[in-house]
Amino acid sequence: MTIKPDTVSAGQEQETIGQEQIGSSANWVRVWVRGLFSYRETGIVIALVVLFVYLCFASESFRSQFNLTVVAEQMAAIGIMATGQTLVIIAGAFDVSQAAVTGLSAMVIGIMWGHAGLNPILAIMIGLATGALAGAVNGILASRFKLHPIIMTLATSVIFVSLTYVITHGIPVIGLPPQLLWAGSALLGPIPVSTLIMLVVVALMQVLLTRTRYGLRVRQVGGNVEAARLIGVNVPLVLLGVFVISGFLSALGATIELGRVGNAIPTLGSTLLFPIITASILGGTLLSGGEGSMVGTVAGAAVLTIINNALVVLQVDPYAQGVVQGGLVVAALIVDQFRRRQLTFRDLIRTEL
Amino acid sequence: MSIATDAAQPLVSMRGISKKYANVVALSGVDMTLRSGEIVALVGDNGAGKSTLIKVLSGAVHPDSGEIDIEGKPIRITKPSDAQHLGIAAIYQDLALFNNLDASENVFAGREMIVRVFGIPFLRRKKMAQDAHRLLKRLGIITMSSANFKTGGLSGGQRQMIAVARALGMNSRVLVLDEPTAALGVRETGILLDLLRSLREEGLAMMLVTHRIPDAMLLANRIVVLKGGEVQGELNPQSCHLDDVIELIVRGRASSRTNNGS
Repeated sequence: MTIKPDTVSAGQEQETIGQEQIGSSANWVRVWVRGLFSYRETGIVIALVVLFVYLCFASESFRSQFNLTVVAEQMAAIGIMATGQTLVIIAGAFDVSQAAVTGLSAMVIGIMWGHAGLNPILAIMIGLATGALAGAVNGILASRFKLHPIIMTLATSVIFVSLTYVITHGIPVIGLPPQLLWAGSALLGPIPVSTLIMLVVVALMQVLLTRTRYGLRVRQVGGNVEAARLIGVNVPLVLLGVFVISGFLSALGATIELGRVGNAIPTLGSTLLFPIITASILGGTLLSGGEGSMVGTVAGAAVLTIINNALVVLQVDPYAQGVVQGGLVVAALIVDQFRRRQLTFRDLIRTEL
Repeated sequence: MSIATDAAQPLVSMRGISKKYANVVALSGVDMTLRSGEIVALVGDNGAGKSTLIKVLSGAVHPDSGEIDIEGKPIRITKPSDAQHLGIAAIYQDLALFNNLDASENVFAGREMIVRVFGIPFLRRKKMAQDAHRLLKRLGIITMSSANFKTGGLSGGQRQMIAVARALGMNSRVLVLDEPTAALGVRETGILLDLLRSLREEGLAMMLVTHRIPDAMLLANRIVVLKGGEVQGELNPQSCHLDDVIELIVRGRASSRTNNGS
């Protein structure tokens, strides 16, 4: 196999570093940079760093500790739920019911404490179980009945929202005890507990995706479902799993939003769906399935939260903010398209046998 | 006595295999044998029943009637995993590879090496990468750099080798190949044919479907011609001419008498 350095894509050059001593330092830098860009997270992480550094220089109110803490708090639920969305998309499906599950779980927690008089910890447990159960409903519909995931979860999200109002009659549960608010409002020094929970979730999800057999099954199902069946993968079980995880993480997002908002209101989390999907796409998740990264996803969540915050801090006309938010998704879709084209570009420069 | 019969006994013997799709007869009473260290090429026009026949052997298609013996023992193959357990591995035309995964993940797909930590099955990624690399190196095509490379970015030949490596990794005795050279260039085809020859020397039995008659002539011990779901005849590539094969494919049994005599 002959490899001309100019015609090989980044992943291969990275390997050749150790094999051949590369002479000129300029060449070495070029190879290193290309190697860096072979990681799918690199682009979004660089964007995050550039954006953050720029805003810190540009705006005093942005770099204030208070504001940065607020940004970290706002990011937590989005980051957590976006890792669930990423897992679902990698498996080749989609879950647009996440925000509805968040509202339902939040109200279940509120009611279990406020009306049933349960211990707050128990109420949270039941709320998390509710999220997992809602995910299981999605998973069973998606896998057993092979329904189109977007339309199916759109339908279940209407059902979950409706159930939320059925159990609460639209009345918020107020005066929540500190235990229920802790996850979303407590601080460890300047760092919100919710952000730390998010970092733990991201780490666990990244390990699940890349190091465990289940994570490989998810990538197999999303990459080539027919081939997965041929090698004996239980496709319905894998799909059930991703939806249960997504539902559970939506409920975990609910416990954080409860603390951030302060009361259990039926519309809790209803604005989260758009940012979640944006974060997942910005993070480099291939919309056609099979590829994605949890680290990239959380970086995507950070970029989008920081941009939303900057719009406020820099006093952009509130009516115009939607232009930026929508534009960000369009940009993310273009990036997704670019990634796909890169894949075919790689096909074009196939190395000789 | 028994040794002599064992040696003569085919590894795989299919008898009276029939399959109908709605009103279309795909196979009608096909008999087929395959011995260890032998390559049989199935040729025939489109719709002759070649693909259906190999899918019956690989478990992807369930025949309406007929029997399959392996080493003289009757067996039942109802799904691909049954065939795999019997040491029959299929390499399909579309290769059934995961383009989003790397070579070692493809080679070990479905039988990953795991280590349990707190009961959770973790992948032994390093061990799998090393073993896959060793296997691919033995097949003589893949360098270290391409072993950790996404399979979607590899050439048709490399992908074909990964599919072969996956089949070999399952300790298969029988390889079933559907159009293995269809997507390959001249050079890649040559490398693949060499590989299949060396696997034959190691005692593997192979059944391959091909449209490329010259490849079949170069490689196969026997060429079996199908037409209309029936076996039209069997030719020895050593003693027949390309034209004989083509005539049998086009005209069927009626033209084959002179050739069968030889």
